[in-house]
Amino acid sequence: MDPLVTTQLLNIVFGIATLAVLALGLAIVFGLLGVLNIAHGELVMVGAYAAWIVQTAGAPYVAAVPVAMIVCGLLGWVIEAGLIRPLYARPFDTLLATWGLSLLLRKTAEAIWGLGYKSLALPMPGTVDVFGAAYPRYRLMLIVACLAGMTALAVWFTKSGAGTRIKAMVANPELAQAVGIRTGRLARNAFIAGCALAGLGGVMVAPLTPVHPFMGIDYILDSFFVLVVGGLGSIAGLLAGAGIIGGLGSLVSAITDRTAGYTTVLVIAILFLWLRPRGLLARA
Amino acid sequence: MQKKSVTRRGFVAGGAALMAAPVVLRYARAADPFKVGLFYAASGPAALFGPTQKASCELAIEQINKAGGIMGREIQLHLADAGGPPAESTKTAVRLMVQEKCDLFIGSHDSATREALVSTIKARIPYIYTPIYEGGECAPNTYVLADTPEQQVRPTIELLTKEKGVKSVYLIGNDYVWPRKTNDRVKQYLAAGGGKVIGEEYVPLGAPNKFEEAVTRIKGAKPDAVVVTLVGADNVNFNRTFAGFGLDKDVLRASMLLEENTLLGIGAENSKQLYNCMSYFSTVPGAAHDAFKAAYKAKFGEKAPQLSIIGVDCYAGAYCAKALVEKAKGTKAADLMAASEGLEIMTATGPVTMHNRHLDKPMYLAECEGTNFKIIKTFEGVKSGETCKQA
Repeated sequence: MDPLVTTQLLNIVFGIATLAVLALGLAIVFGLLGVLNIAHGELVMVGAYAAWIVQTAGAPYVAAVPVAMIVCGLLGWVIEAGLIRPLYARPFDTLLATWGLSLLLRKTAEAIWGLGYKSLALPMPGTVDVFGAAYPRYRLMLIVACLAGMTALAVWFTKSGAGTRIKAMVANPELAQAVGIRTGRLARNAFIAGCALAGLGGVMVAPLTPVHPFMGIDYILDSFFVLVVGGLGSIAGLLAGAGIIGGLGSLVSAITDRTAGYTTVLVIAILFLWLRPRGLLARA
Repeated sequence: MQKKSVTRRGFVAGGAALMAAPVVLRYARAADPFKVGLFYAASGPAALFGPTQKASCELAIEQINKAGGIMGREIQLHLADAGGPPAESTKTAVRLMVQEKCDLFIGSHDSATREALVSTIKARIPYIYTPIYEGGECAPNTYVLADTPEQQVRPTIELLTKEKGVKSVYLIGNDYVWPRKTNDRVKQYLAAGGGKVIGEEYVPLGAPNKFEEAVTRIKGAKPDAVVVTLVGADNVNFNRTFAGFGLDKDVLRASMLLEENTLLGIGAENSKQLYNCMSYFSTVPGAAHDAFKAAYKAKFGEKAPQLSIIGVDCYAGAYCAKALVEKAKGTKAADLMAASEGLEIMTATGPVTMHNRHLDKPMYLAECEGTNFKIIKTFEGVKSGETCKQA
């Protein structure tokens, strides 16, 4: 195959894999708790700053993964207790509350680190030869890590007891409570996990993009479209959504240009909201 | 009791008035302040430059006031946020003109806001526009200090074609007026230098852009050089992706708006073979610039906002106001426009001359060395290429 075609195919896979992980935290929180966390992108930003701090301190980049996940998880814990729990079952109010939170997080980051771009060194520089195409090593590693992580999550969700309890909670909260599932704690943990995953997303993208207080906005919109297209509450839906939004965006951008890529994504999102508002693979 | 308290209050008030009297008297004697409105990026996508814009303007005003102000009038600065939509800026402009009776505006913002301001001000007060732009602004009573495509492009393309042997160029930029007008000029000079454009693409401004696909396309097109008219975070993102795919070793890059903040974002390991031509870098040599930098550091300390072309332009803006009004001996539009021809203006890097209400100025060609700009060539008195007629 032409090395350029290989590279563009890898770009598409890269787009899908990273988008799936970036949207994962949002999907968990939206799909399981019915809370659309507008501040998800800002948690990605916090994760990216955590990665920058870890790298500036001279620690190996892998250390940024637990640091960012713990920082964002702790933030998630505070947010859940202070903002989300009083507003469960009031979707519009949580929307407004998390929007306010996103402004607060952005301005806090601006106050601490300023508006300037932070630049991280690539933890794995250079390119690797993939079927004759030189592809950046770090991006390749991300593709592998994202796919492995998603597979592990899918297995855990379908096989583990916790996965079953979550499904029970989402399907019928009262009944789940009646059979002894502590839905309050489960919901809290799901929210914390969603925030920690946003932090992980931040660590992933930090060496590729400029890190600055407003970077979160770049990730929230596509992630939201993934949920619109894929539907809520299933990992298959998430992957389908990421495949269509990320994949088609990259494909059209590769064939024509970025503007056409956006147009395609927007048209698809609108068509889905209009004709199939529950998405492709929403849980029944 | 009541009466006594009133007396006491009256006494205190009277005392305060007496103590304040010298201040009041001093102001009463001096002429009315000369009110300058500065339109800058206090918020919005360009807010990164806001602190430098404000600091540079304040420094110039402090220096001018110490030396007697503008025709003996002390400059009073009115800050206006131009970071929002143009309509917001025009509202502020009306308020500043009608209520505050501002004498002059300085603007460092995008062209959409400039066009809106020009049609709001309607030449009633002088308006000085300072950052990099696409050229073509000839509105009456409007004075442009900005770098024009003519000034930026010719030195850049001559470097590529004559010294680096570049034959084929790929153009990538954000989709708005400045990149497209700049690229028109690039094509013109490239054709004159025997090179050709083998690809051209634009990405939306203000969208979450990714550049993997574009970089792969560029790799396939195999150009000798890429001319980049992306701005801000997109410029950072593109250059990081470009180097990440390993293209930085074989393909030269010339960026048209690459200043200190952007280069810090691109990072030292991604800035190989990256060139740029502008009228300001924080590394420009010379006594005038050294004095400016020393004064800037003395006023704002070690944590002073990062010096960059978008920001330092406001320093020249304030000095342009002084030179223009003093030469015209007032703020009548016709006098100012006549005075502007051949006017000498102080900038952060030394004096420049105004012709056709644009500046002829030295341009600096820089090569990135890590996160620093190394000036490799200086072009003195480069003409703006603008031909605004005298009204």
